[in-house]
Amino acid sequence: MNAATATFSLSRIPSLDKAAVWIVLALLLVVAGLASDAFFNVKYLANLLRQATPIGIVAVGVTFVMLLRGVDLSVGAIVSMSAVACALIMNGKPENLVPALLATVALGAVIGLVNGLLIAYGRVSSFILTLGSSIAIYGLVQMSTGGTARGVVSPGFREVMNSRVLDNMLPVLVICLAAAVAVGLFLQSRTRFGRHVYLIGASPEAARLAGLPVLRVTVAAYVVSGLFAALGGIALLARTGVSGTNPGEGMEFDVLAAVVLGGTTFAGGRGGVGGTFAGVLVLFIALNLANVAGLPFATQLAIKGFIIIAASAAHSWLGRRGSGRTET
Amino acid sequence: MRLTMPAALAAMTTAAFLSLPAHAEDMDLTKKETYDQIMTWAAEPLDTSKFKKDGDLKIGVSAGYLSNAWINFTGQSIKYEASLHPEIKELKITDAGFNPTKQAADIEDLLTSGVDAILFWPVDEKAILPALQKAHEKGVATINIGYNFMRDPAVTSNAYVNQWDYSEQVATEFAKSLDGKGKVIAMLPIAGSSAAVVQLAVLQDVLKNYPDMELISTEYGDWDRAKAKQLTENLLQRFPEIDGAFSPAGQMSMGIYEAFDEAGRLDELTLSPGDDYNGWTKLVAKEGKWGSVTSGLEVGREAVKQAVKILKGEPTTTAVVVKTRYLNPEEAAKLNEPDRPDDWFKTDLPAEFLPQ
Amino acid sequence: MRPARDIVPSIGLQPIHWALLALVIAGTVGVPQFRTLANLTNILEQSATLAVLAIGQSFVIAGGMIDLSVGQLVGLVTVVACMGFEAWPGMGWAVVLLSLALAGGVGLVNGELINRLRMPPLILTFGMLSILQGCIFLLTDRSVGTVSPAISFLATGRVGGVPVSLLLVAAVAFVAWFVLERSVFGWHLLAMGNSAESSRRAGLDLRRLTRLAYLASGLCAGIAAMLVAGRLGTGFPNAGNGLELDAIVAVVLGGMPLKGGKVSIAGVLGAVLLLGVLNNLLNLYQVPAFTQILIKGLIVIAAILADRPGRRAQPA
Repeated sequence: MNAATATFSLSRIPSLDKAAVWIVLALLLVVAGLASDAFFNVKYLANLLRQATPIGIVAVGVTFVMLLRGVDLSVGAIVSMSAVACALIMNGKPENLVPALLATVALGAVIGLVNGLLIAYGRVSSFILTLGSSIAIYGLVQMSTGGTARGVVSPGFREVMNSRVLDNMLPVLVICLAAAVAVGLFLQSRTRFGRHVYLIGASPEAARLAGLPVLRVTVAAYVVSGLFAALGGIALLARTGVSGTNPGEGMEFDVLAAVVLGGTTFAGGRGGVGGTFAGVLVLFIALNLANVAGLPFATQLAIKGFIIIAASAAHSWLGRRGSGRTET
Repeated sequence: MRLTMPAALAAMTTAAFLSLPAHAEDMDLTKKETYDQIMTWAAEPLDTSKFKKDGDLKIGVSAGYLSNAWINFTGQSIKYEASLHPEIKELKITDAGFNPTKQAADIEDLLTSGVDAILFWPVDEKAILPALQKAHEKGVATINIGYNFMRDPAVTSNAYVNQWDYSEQVATEFAKSLDGKGKVIAMLPIAGSSAAVVQLAVLQDVLKNYPDMELISTEYGDWDRAKAKQLTENLLQRFPEIDGAFSPAGQMSMGIYEAFDEAGRLDELTLSPGDDYNGWTKLVAKEGKWGSVTSGLEVGREAVKQAVKILKGEPTTTAVVVKTRYLNPEEAAKLNEPDRPDDWFKTDLPAEFLPQ
Repeated sequence: MRPARDIVPSIGLQPIHWALLALVIAGTVGVPQFRTLANLTNILEQSATLAVLAIGQSFVIAGGMIDLSVGQLVGLVTVVACMGFEAWPGMGWAVVLLSLALAGGVGLVNGELINRLRMPPLILTFGMLSILQGCIFLLTDRSVGTVSPAISFLATGRVGGVPVSLLLVAAVAFVAWFVLERSVFGWHLLAMGNSAESSRRAGLDLRRLTRLAYLASGLCAGIAAMLVAGRLGTGFPNAGNGLELDAIVAVVLGGMPLKGGKVSIAGVLGAVLLLGVLNNLLNLYQVPAFTQILIKGLIVIAAILADRPGRRAQPA
């Protein structure tokens, strides 16, 4: 978008850059351990992960869009829509559980498809387009529900999702997060889609000239983003039940922050799902520490801002060093 | 431009020595006396003669936001009540989506449409005043349905739920059910909102009578079940002992309940009464304890009735006050509609006026 | 929508103006209350804040950058200014100066950090958004202060029936038009937006251009904050929430691509007016509140599709 990001290279991600967020995470864990004895309690960590599950799942999907230098601001609205629609379809009946989950995921994927088609073939800015679709989705949810989340969750769904397995230690929701991250990692490194995303993100022009299916991959990335956002909405529903028509409000920005922290910073083709996962953890641990330390809300907001800027600056600095480029 | 702007403005300061719009009286929301004063004001007669209008009526509603269930039910109650008055020919509802500048524009647009009265709940009580001032100058009646009582020349009347009484009923029952002792947390709405300010003040006031009760943490859950749950999870990590949670809003109480449940510490927990939120009364029915205080949903209908009285020039008081009342667990459980969703309020609206 | 527009930017009627014209005609024919003079001046007054903010955003977008911090900057300046007006009642002009200095200062910091940290502007200003919001809530969590009579006159006053805010917008727009569309600085900024790399090779000082563009964006946020304060009469901490997105939408609707290199202050003003007229008509025409939200979302999508650049743009 400007001088700092205008150049790109086809080289793989510099290793130092990739490690940055994990180093930050390790440091943060040390600080957290020093600050509170309770921190390394397995239950505590499991709890933290469970809180991070909805955002974490959404962030996995958005990572692919951001690897392509795009952005998806509609995920917050898709999360809201999914939580509301899923409960509506469930309608309190156990037999509706599976259809509801499938329909919700399909709905998310369809919205992603529409976003992707318009962005890829309409050649428009993803920022504005997904901003527009987020407003439209919110309007649709409000219209179709009359402003109250009228759904009733199927019995058993939340009970199972909120239970813990393995000696009552590992929450089921955390397993879902781990599964989402695993699927993300698989997509990223074991599929042609993943390889194409990196190549196109690194240099759209070169990728096009090399005959890569740029448009199709772009559409697919938004479908993945919409699909994971729907899964995130289901996770949110599982975690907290029906709570209003806009439970995902503003989540797109937290997700954006987490992905950026993880090293996927619009530079194109740099970063990935692993870093995003670490980024989500960094964000949640930092805010949790601030909470436990009793810092006021205002300070927490400011800290969040500083972390985002500092982490992104670190990535860009390491990125330049790592790839041995001098620029601007 | 940087240099000329201030110069021009300085010139204007001297040139345009306009009087400031009259400001609402700043009320100290944390003092019981304020609410006694409000009740006295509310009972004063209102001169409706200058609003008297013959023939059809047009009523505008400026919603500061329409994004939660309670507000939506209030909106639906307004529509229902309006349908019972054949003289009301038009009802226009605008939604400012928490943006005070949009609310000012909405009110201007309602005035352009020629409404005779505007019912409103403000995004912010102070920020809405300049727009209400315009309505006042046009002779349009303005009726506040917001959380706070507003006393200002630009506000014709209030339909009001006494928040001190409401919170006091919750806090008193809470203290009683804890036998006046224990470590408690408070789960309040949005930080800085008048709801949060009042509820905390009342709780602290009531706790003065119970020296063995200790408020160990105050949290702001933004009326959000998910957020309340997350905050409680953190508190459960922080404090080995929590005996009770003060939470007047039912949907947040549900988040607290779940967090305790999942931490295996449900037997520790005593919750304060919640409100008539359906998810909460379901929980009361299931647990057989804790009860509810009605939230005053009637206020929407009362506001329309008040508007009609004012526009017909009939005698009325400065404000209509909706009473809240404590329901013990048995009575509260009866409010519960098990077939309805959690995100729902008990109401006597006919089916076609329920949110859909 | 014709390719010719790519070659001859900015002057003449653009699609957004035709859309605006169509909407105004539809309103005039279909909604009787719309065509009153009072209503039209209302719309102009209601649109003033967004107009100034969108003009500020045009500076950064022309250079291929973005400023997400302006909404919260409006909030912060509104709060600080209203606190100032209350604390020093006789010193309104000093408070205005201080507020504009604060706003310009934050803009400079944005530009400087982008230069020094070499960060994508989207991320830096997003971080700044959070920091500014934190600053607001450190100052206050509820409405504070008051405004000076001059400021409320600026935002809501009329001179011979013409809103004073309209005159202010006209002045800001003229300055912006001159700087962006008629000065060497504007030429350089657009060159940077077109290709940072070749501008740098051509010897342009990109750091200076970045700094000044953000200074302009910050100052416009400061001026917009004065209008918000004047309209609300108090410093409401959430007054700026989401305004940055409205401003960006207006700029893009006005025909300026987010990747930079093109500018049209006339287009941006047309877009701001279009949004203002649309809001007004939806309210007057009794469109249900929830449907209004959907329509606004669809308009954003439709407008960007209709006005898309003729050649392949990078998704960003």
